[in-house]
Amino acid sequence: MIIYALCFALFLVGLYGLIVKRDLIKIILASGIMGYAVNLMIVLFGYRREAVYPILEKGKEAAVMVDPLPQALVLTSIVIELGTTAMLAALAIQLYKKYKTFDITKIRRLRG
Amino acid sequence: MSDKQGMTVIVKTITRAMLAVIFLYGFYIILHGHLSPGGGFGGGVVLALGFLSVMLAYGRPTVQKWLNIRVLHSIESSGPLLFLAVGLLGLAGGGAFLLNTIGKGRLFDLWSSGFILPLNIIIGVKVGLSLFLAVWALTEWDPEKGDDA
Repeated sequence: MIIYALCFALFLVGLYGLIVKRDLIKIILASGIMGYAVNLMIVLFGYRREAVYPILEKGKEAAVMVDPLPQALVLTSIVIELGTTAMLAALAIQLYKKYKTFDITKIRRLRG
Repeated sequence: MSDKQGMTVIVKTITRAMLAVIFLYGFYIILHGHLSPGGGFGGGVVLALGFLSVMLAYGRPTVQKWLNIRVLHSIESSGPLLFLAVGLLGLAGGGAFLLNTIGKGRLFDLWSSGFILPLNIIIGVKVGLSLFLAVWALTEWDPEKGDDA
C-alpha cells in the first residue's frame, strides 16, 4: 500500500510545481513529473511479487508473470506525454518570442 | 567542419567516436523487438538521440550540411503509409487487417514473428526521425539571436 502512497506523493510534487512555480520551463517539467507518477502507479498495479517479466525466451520456463497490459498502456501514455511536452515547449517558445520572458506573472497582456 | 559552432573539440571527438555505437545499439533494439524488451519505439528513441547528440555537439549548420532535412521529412511522413501497406497485405491475402501472410519461421530466431519485424523497423524509423525533426523544429528560433537567426 505504501508504494501507491509514494506514487501519490510524487504526483503531489508535480502538482505543487504546476501551481506554485512561475517559470514556464519549470511548469512543463512539473507536468512531466505528474505524468511519470501516474505511469508509475499504473505499472505498479500490474506488479506481482516474485514474478518475472512477461517475455518468453529460450531456455526460460513459464512462471508467474507480471501483468503486461498496464505496461502496454503506459507505453502509449509515454508517447502521448512526449507529444504533449513537445507542444508545451513549442508554446513556451512562442510566448518567449513575444514577451522575451518565461515568467508567467509578466505574461499578462494580449498584444497583437 | 567549422570550429566556431557547437561545443569544444573534446565533445566533438567523443560524439564522432560514439555515433556509430549509438546507431548500432538503436538498430539492435529495433531488430530484436520481438525477442527481448525493446522494439520500434525504444530503438527509434535511441536513433533520435544519436542524431540529437550530433546536433548538440556540432550545431545546426553542420547538421544541415550533413543531412538532407527535406528527404528525412519525406521518409518520416511515408512511415504511416508503409505501415498501412503492410496492414493491407494481410487484407489482400484474404484475411483480416494486419493478418500475417508471411512465414513465421522458428521460435526465438530473428525471423520468427512474421509481420512484427518489418512493422518494428517502420515504427523505429518513424519514431527516430519524428523525434529528431520535432527537436529540430523547436530549435529553429534562437532566443539569443532573436528574429534574424
